[in-house]
Amino acid sequence: MSKINEISTPPPAHDFSKLEQILNRYPREEASLIMILQDIQDEYRYLPCDVLIETAKALNLPKSTVFSVGTFYKAFSLQPMGRHNIKVCMGTACHVRGAVMVLEAFQRELGLEHTGTTEDLEFTLETVNCVGACGMAPVVVIDEKYHGEVQPDRVKKMIKKGGK
Amino acid sequence: MKITLNGKQIEVNPGEYLLSVIRREGIEIPALCHHDAVEPVGACRLCIVEITRPEWEGWSRLVTSCLYPVEEGLIVETHSKLVSDTRATLLDMQLARCPDAEIIQKWAKEYGIEKTSFPVREDADKCILCDICVRICNAVGRYAIARTSRGIEKVVAVPLELGEDQACIGCLSCAHACPTGAIEWKEDSNTRTIWGLTFTLEKCPVTGEVLGTPQQLDHFAKKAGLSRDYFTKSDKAHKHETAKKFVKII
Ligand code: SF4
Ligand code: FES
Ligand code: FES
Repeated sequence: MSKINEISTPPPAHDFSKLEQILNRYPREEASLIMILQDIQDEYRYLPCDVLIETAKALNLPKSTVFSVGTFYKAFSLQPMGRHNIKVCMGTACHVRGAVMVLEAFQRELGLEHTGTTEDLEFTLETVNCVGACGMAPVVVIDEKYHGEVQPDRVKKMIKKGGK
Repeated sequence: MKITLNGKQIEVNPGEYLLSVIRREGIEIPALCHHDAVEPVGACRLCIVEITRPEWEGWSRLVTSCLYPVEEGLIVETHSKLVSDTRATLLDMQLARCPDAEIIQKWAKEYGIEKTSFPVREDADKCILCDICVRICNAVGRYAIARTSRGIEKVVAVPLELGEDQACIGCLSCAHACPTGAIEWKEDSNTRTIWGLTFTLEKCPVTGEVLGTPQQLDHFAKKAGLSRDYFTKSDKAHKHETAKKFVKII
């Protein structure tokens, strides 16, 4: 059965200005695809469908190829990601030292049931399994910055500061 | 070049794959991701056989026959205990993935499995991710479908959301090549629907037979380097015309 409907549609961005710059950074060949998708993910914070179509055209690739690669890697997202990215470590060390409560605090403060992105596109909450900093468990990584020994009561402040 | 297949010495052609030799010898093994029209990829692993050589001193290994080229002096077993046990495990897993796929049921039964010992996949379709449909579509020259996502979420899909102009021409090549009948499509007298796309059908003005979708006929005419006009009539109508001309000549 065709599973077309089960794959989420990335909403269009209606903005190709950033794509132009990205495409100019690389040779127009298939080997550039992943690097271009990475830059699209960075600039647009997801892979918008119209931008993907233009990318396919620019590299002279079938849309299905671009779609296939874009859905394969976890680094790419088909839905807009929040301006700030919060990763709560759920690895063994963090788990033992209360990661579940930390996660719950984030969910409560952000109004998210599980993980995902807030409606205002400010935050994306994710869980990861061990970021290699078990000594400072429980660990939360906000926009690449590591926060150690996070207590649930600090969460509100962390969000307010937008991760700074 | 000679190999030993199930104890029998046979002559083989250099460069051919073990699977084609096995089939030529009339030995039946499951090979679900194999399709003669496209290059093998070794996705289903069901065509495994055990190979060894005298100098390996009793050591042997399993290889996918669809991807293994013949070698001088190779000793091949298609139904050794190791092969049968491994194949049975693979079929057991396939059955958990696609409990409704008749061809899996049939092969599983042959290897002694009536019911899978693994938890059955929820909302199971019949797709075993053999990749035949994708390879066929690429061979047709459309590149309309692709494997998307990964791991347990992987599915074959049309990037429908990526714009209106789809590469799919509704030719049904994928559906006909699918070993498990996983690709659903339907046709009434005027339209054909596949991959969630609906096409109108073109018919022969003489006989009224369905010729295909206009997109499909355009594509095949172009690919074959033939006039599109040739594709606006059915074979029967063409034959009829030729016959009439012939009658006139004599
Ligand atoms: S839909 Fe059919 S042909 Fe395509 S991958 Fe699945 S089983 Fe193979
Ligand atoms: S378990 Fe969290 S950093 Fe290792
Ligand atoms: S037919 Fe050889 S691996 Fe599927």
